[in-house]
Amino acid sequence: MSLLLPLLLLVAITGTAIVFSRVPRRQVVAIAANGIALSLLFMAFQAPDVAFAELAAGSAVTPLLFLVVLASVRTDLTTERVERPDGEEDAAS
Amino acid sequence: MSPRLRRLLFLACCALVLPAVLHVAAHMPRFGDHSMPYGDLINAVALAERHTTNMVSAINFDYRGFDTLGEEMMLLCAVGGATVLLRGSRGETESEPQRVPGRPIIARADSTVLASRLFGAVVILFGLYVVLHAMTTPGGGFQGGAIIASGLLCVFLGEGYPGWRRVAPSELFDALEGGGAALYALCGFASLVMGLPFLQNMLPFGQKGDLFSGGLMQFENAGVGAAVTGGFVILLIEFLEETREPVPDGDEEGDDP
Repeated sequence: MSLLLPLLLLVAITGTAIVFSRVPRRQVVAIAANGIALSLLFMAFQAPDVAFAELAAGSAVTPLLFLVVLASVRTDLTTERVERPDGEEDAAS
Repeated sequence: MSPRLRRLLFLACCALVLPAVLHVAAHMPRFGDHSMPYGDLINAVALAERHTTNMVSAINFDYRGFDTLGEEMMLLCAVGGATVLLRGSRGETESEPQRVPGRPIIARADSTVLASRLFGAVVILFGLYVVLHAMTTPGGGFQGGAIIASGLLCVFLGEGYPGWRRVAPSELFDALEGGGAALYALCGFASLVMGLPFLQNMLPFGQKGDLFSGGLMQFENAGVGAAVTGGFVILLIEFLEETREPVPDGDEEGDDP
């Protein structure tokens, strides 16, 4: 129990951090941190198999997919930059 | 709705729900205390009935094997659907690694490459270990497959996108995904052919606690492991490929993150 309480607190802190980080890229890092905290908690609950799955899916693969999507959105913004008649560049939204 | 009104609404909802939450919290069972006889029953009989020391595998692949077949098909459909959507514009035949136009190519530090190679190999090996030891220790096909996929991510981190695609050819993981799901379904039909109920475990269970105990569960576990590895890696390939555009002719130098 002495191990569980700090870990539960850690999960609560990292979960709140996801909500309060407003920049998408930082949010992805917060999700990964939450995944690591959760897998530590599952480990403490003596469920190592769930911890494996959470560590692999929750803190490695899912954040990467989010990052890929964010990167994809950003490249779209930069490639769709249109040249205005007065020579000023403007991002088409 | 103004922020002040929204906060008031939030507090009103809290006041409404709070008594119920407190009531539930006061009447929770003690920590570790549960009223679920099924788990206790499995723990008591599975070792004698199925010769596996990992009860979760005994439930997943035997007592509730048919449910896992459904999950397997769900995974196949989800990965297949995502692939159809993402690969749609790219077409079926083209699987050469592409580049992101306009993104700078950042050289990796030697230490990054070395660490990724070491960790990638160890993580993939550990994933294989978890898949193989499904019947004896915690873990199994799903967990092991996810670990193998994240080990391949280490390869991506160290070798860059083109190097990763050379290590992880798309066709291999397509075959793993489909073949794994098919293997699981065929295990069920093998029982039918022998005149037994679907997914009935008809192979000898082997020695208790042995690596190859569990009979038919071994094959089902291998199928799940292959399908999960394939599914995860296909998703990664399709998502990463989606951000890239075909390399223009005569412009193929370097790799990018």
